[in-house]
Amino acid sequence: MQDKRDLEKFIKFMALKAAQIIIQSRSGDKVFTKCKPNSSDTDSFNLAIQDVPEALTEAKRVLCKDIISSSIPLCIEISLKTIEGDTMVLETWSLSVISEHIEPMIQLAFTIYNRMGILLKSLLSVSRITPAYKLSRRQGSDSYRICYRIYMGEPQLHTLGDNYKHIRVGQLCTAVGIVHLSVSYRTKMTISPTQTGRDTIMLKSDHFHSDLSPKHTRYQQNEESSKSLYDTVKIGAFVVNKQYTTNEENSHGHIPFSSLLMLHQTSSPPLNSVNQIVNATSIDSICERVIDTCNGNEQLIHNNITSKCNSQNGSRRSSCSTSVNEDFIMVDLKTPFAATNTNSDLGTFYRECQSAPQLQAFMEEQTLAQQVGDLTKQLEAFETNMHLYEDLLTSLYKCENNI
Amino acid sequence: MNARTQLFELSMEGRQVDEAVASIFHSVLFHRSLGKFKYKEEGTYSVGTVGYQDVDCDFIDFTYVCCSSILLDQTLKREISGFSEALRSTGSPGSGQISLEFFQKKKNRWPFPPECIPWEVWTVRLELIKLATEHERQICREKVGDLLTDKILYITEVMNRHDYLPKMPNQAELDLIFDTSYPDIQPYLFKLSFTTSGPSSTTMGNTMKKLIKETLSM
Repeated sequence: MQDKRDLEKFIKFMALKAAQIIIQSRSGDKVFTKCKPNSSDTDSFNLAIQDVPEALTEAKRVLCKDIISSSIPLCIEISLKTIEGDTMVLETWSLSVISEHIEPMIQLAFTIYNRMGILLKSLLSVSRITPAYKLSRRQGSDSYRICYRIYMGEPQLHTLGDNYKHIRVGQLCTAVGIVHLSVSYRTKMTISPTQTGRDTIMLKSDHFHSDLSPKHTRYQQNEESSKSLYDTVKIGAFVVNKQYTTNEENSHGHIPFSSLLMLHQTSSPPLNSVNQIVNATSIDSICERVIDTCNGNEQLIHNNITSKCNSQNGSRRSSCSTSVNEDFIMVDLKTPFAATNTNSDLGTFYRECQSAPQLQAFMEEQTLAQQVGDLTKQLEAFETNMHLYEDLLTSLYKCENNI
Repeated sequence: MNARTQLFELSMEGRQVDEAVASIFHSVLFHRSLGKFKYKEEGTYSVGTVGYQDVDCDFIDFTYVCCSSILLDQTLKREISGFSEALRSTGSPGSGQISLEFFQKKKNRWPFPPECIPWEVWTVRLELIKLATEHERQICREKVGDLLTDKILYITEVMNRHDYLPKMPNQAELDLIFDTSYPDIQPYLFKLSFTTSGPSSTTMGNTMKKLIKETLSM
């Protein structure tokens, strides 16, 4: 009984030392400890393993909860963390005691103690040959750091990616079971997005109205005439949310652009004579108005033009909205992949007019200083060319005299 | 008694020899060295502590752990560089082997010296290769590192087997099992030996030598 308790104490000591060896080997520094002919109490297993206080506290905290067994091994996980915050588990060391195979022959405590020392020496040697060792030596604050995690429980090997390798460092038969020390390490050293643990962007596929999907419209082209466009219009993803008014009076669903006209007639005073005239529903008259508004430099279309697609009834339809500022949002309903229709020329024309580029004169507005500077330059130029003008005048004068 | 024998066969560039052999033998000796025994009264003794250090190789992508005993390192380096020089010398056939032999002594009757009985032998057989380009050297650097990784794994596997080890002696017989000449460490008695062999020449003298040798070894 006493032997068993001693043995469990030995195993716990060994686990603590093993944790130290593993964690120190990943610090990035070369380790050097001196041989001491006179052993001190702190040197377990006759090996000069220095204790890193932080790692010791962590290992003790984890170990105090449970006794190491086959089902609850002690695991030390080594991972790489980049400065971008990506992490990748490189290897998992595990120390377990398999109690199903108990060595019946009770060995001397001294022999066990020596063999544990040999196991720790093997751990020292093996810890330098896994890929994580080379990586840990190259770590730096500007590239990546090596981190460790100590836990009790089944080793989480799924974090090591495909084709990870398993190495048995060594094992040792004792009266309480076989002490088994092993490591599993990653062989694929690429960080893939799925391993970072970051949330992927959630995509919601209901932006387009289901009734407007090309598949739907292809087969139900003749039935949609009763549908009001106002019901189907959705605001674009990045458009400033504006209030869509769906006035009963304005919803002249069947007539293209009629709503546009109605809104303008009621909400703004007539800009010119053409506007007043326009109350018809013929396409020609709408065209006239559009042209007129363009020529009159009235900026009806705001920059926030949202295009949507529709090929309902084989013709383009546009819907407009109004706000206090009289901004238009032209929603061009065009179904993706739908065949273009010759009847949509009007819509194209209308859009081209509305989106006509600004005159360059207005685009490149000069500052007052620049304008004044130009004037002085011009005056200078005129002054230097004075003689030319003089010559011209004299020549003209001569001509006149001759006549 | 038959000694356990382990054989590693490697091929590498001449300049990698020292480091490759040292990494294997140091790893073995690290496992086969104990702390210094200090005897007290009534047969009790205390065991010293073994220190260790990381060694980076210059010509191989490899790091190994060895005892931090300068004298032990010197003993090993001396013998290994002798082997390396012989292997790389102009008249060398380009291949050879070096052995690390652990033995125990058995006292004989006076005036005969004590008999040495080997119980474990580690042999590294090397073949030198010549590389033309720096690119090939880089590949070889990594390849030899990978090979040594396998060898270290094999060494640790052997060390953790419950194989024969000489019994812990009493104070009087300590020198028959351990090398007590080192002040800071106590390895099992060991010796190093090497040979460089080429394609055997078929002269009469050589054949006779071989015959005698074989007869004796039987």
